[in-house]
Amino acid sequence: MRRDRYSFLLLAVLAIVAPLVLRPVIAAEILIFAIVAVANNIILGYTGLLSFGQATFFGVGAYISGLMIVHWDAPLWLILPTAVAANVLLAGVIGYLCVQRIGLYFIMLTFAFNQMFYFIAYSWTTLTGGEDGLPGVQRPEWLRDDLAFYTFVAVLALICLALMKRIVDSPWGRLFQAVRDNPDRAAATGHNVRLIKLTSFVVAGAFTGFAGAVYALLYGIVPVDAIYWLRSGDIVFMTLIGGSGNFFGPVIGAVFFIWLSETVSLFWNRWPMILGIVFALVVLFLRGGIVEVLARIAGVMRRRRDAG
Amino acid sequence: MALLEIRDLHKNFGAVAAVAGVTLSVEQGSLHAIIGPNGAGKTTFFNCITGEVAPTRGHVLFDGRDITGSPPHRLPALGISRSFQRTSIFPRLSVAENVWVSAYGTHPLAAGAMLRHADTIPGLDERIRDALHEVGLERHAGRLADELSHGDQRLLDFAIALAASPRLLLLDEPTAGLSRSDTQMVIELVERLKGRYTLVLIEHKMDMVMRVSDRISVMYFGRLLAEGSPEAIRGDLRVREAYLGRRA
Repeated sequence: MRRDRYSFLLLAVLAIVAPLVLRPVIAAEILIFAIVAVANNIILGYTGLLSFGQATFFGVGAYISGLMIVHWDAPLWLILPTAVAANVLLAGVIGYLCVQRIGLYFIMLTFAFNQMFYFIAYSWTTLTGGEDGLPGVQRPEWLRDDLAFYTFVAVLALICLALMKRIVDSPWGRLFQAVRDNPDRAAATGHNVRLIKLTSFVVAGAFTGFAGAVYALLYGIVPVDAIYWLRSGDIVFMTLIGGSGNFFGPVIGAVFFIWLSETVSLFWNRWPMILGIVFALVVLFLRGGIVEVLARIAGVMRRRRDAG
Repeated sequence: MALLEIRDLHKNFGAVAAVAGVTLSVEQGSLHAIIGPNGAGKTTFFNCITGEVAPTRGHVLFDGRDITGSPPHRLPALGISRSFQRTSIFPRLSVAENVWVSAYGTHPLAAGAMLRHADTIPGLDERIRDALHEVGLERHAGRLADELSHGDQRLLDFAIALAASPRLLLLDEPTAGLSRSDTQMVIELVERLKGRYTLVLIEHKMDMVMRVSDRISVMYFGRLLAEGSPEAIRGDLRVREAYLGRRA
C-alpha cells in the first residue's frame, strides 16, 4: 500500500513536469488515454478478458459531451456525470450480452458492438457530422487556455486513477483476478462469474466514457475516429505495451503511444511501423511490457549497489 | 439424519445413460465414499450434485431442501463446498488470497464491504488462518500459489474448500495424480476432517477408501451395485466381480 502511495506521488510530480517538456494539449491527451488504458486493463489484466470494443464507450462519451455543448451549451458539471451514467448503462447492456460467451466469441461480440455504434455515428450525419466529425465543441471560458485545460485534465486523471486503484484493491478487484485465474473455481467458491465479469466491464466502460467526454473538449471536435475500431486496437496496444500485469503499466503505454504518434508522425508518416515492431517485440520477449523493462533495470541496479 | 439425499437421479447424454437411477443418502457427520470402475458414472453423478451438470430426472436434497439444478455458485452459501480432481486454485494470487476468495464468498458482510481494501474486511483473517492451519500451509500464506509444490497445491485446494465453512464437503478423487508421499499427506488430512464435516468422497484408490470410509456405495454402469460398510463391500461378490476382481 505504501508503494502505491509513492507511485501516485511520482505520477503527480510527472504530471506537473509534463507541460514543461510537452505541449499542454499533448500532455492532456496522454493523460486522457492513461485513464482509458488503465480502465481497459481492469478488463484485460485483472479480469483476463480482451475487449476489442473500448472505443464504443470512448466515442459515445465524446459524442455526448460534444452534442451537449454544441446544442445546449451545457455546463461541465452536468456533461461529465451524464457521460458516465450513459456509459454505465451502455456498458451494462453490451457487457451483459458479451459475458454470455467466453474466449474468442466474447472478443468478437465486443468488436461487433463497436462496429455497430461506429456505423450509427458514421451514417447519422445530421447528429454526429459523420465522417467530417462534430466540430464546434467549445471549452467553457475558464478552460480556454491550454495550460488551464491541462491542469483540469491532470486533476481529473489523478482522481480517476485513484478511484480505479481503490476498485482493484477492493473485494471486487480480487474477484476480478480470481475469475481471470480460474472461473470454475471462482464459481465453486460462491461467486457469480458472469456478474463479476460484467462489473469489470461496466467499471471500465464508465471510466472510458468519462475520458471520452473530456477528449471532446481537447481539440474542439469529435472525430468519427474516436469511435472507430482502430481506436479500440490502440487502447489494447497501449495497455499491453505498458504492461498489463501492473496497475500503472498502461499509463506508460499511453505516454509511449501518444508521444510517439504526436512527435514521430510529424516527420515520418509511416510511424505506425514503429508501433508494430515494438508491439511484436513486446509480445515475443517482454510479456510484462515496458514496466518489466523498468523492473529489470531496477533489479540490476539494486544488485550492483548491493555488490558495491 | 441424512444431510444429503439423492432420489432416483438420472443423467442422459444423448442415448447414453451415464447415471441411471441412483438413490442414496449421506448421513450427517459420516464419510460416504462412492467408488466404481472407470466410466461407472461417478463423475457425472458428482457433477449433478455440484450443479455443473443438470440431471435429466430425479432430485438432490440438501438438509431436506431441494437443490436440484442449482448453479455451482449458489452451493457454498447453502453449506456445500468441493475440492477438484485436477487441482483447481488461483495461480497468480497468493496462498492467503486464494483462501480469501472462498471465505469472502460465504461471508455475511460481503455486500456491505464492497469498497474497502480487500485485506481489511473484518472477520475474514481468522477464517483464512484457520483454513490454512487446518491443512498446514500457514507458513506459505504470502507465497504465490503457482510457486507451491504439486502436493501443497492440492492442500491449498482443500483449504479453499474449507474456508467456506461447509457442512458438506465433496471430494472428487482428492489423491488423483499425486505421488505416494503426497497421497499419504492427503489421506491423513481427510482422516483429520472426518467426523467434523460430512464428507462425500469419490475415489478409486481402494486402500484409501477402505481405510477412511464409514459407508461405501459402488457404482457400476450408472447404477448402484451395492452399498454398505467397508467390510461388507470387501466381502461382496458382485463388487469383487465388477471392480475388485479385475485388480486381484
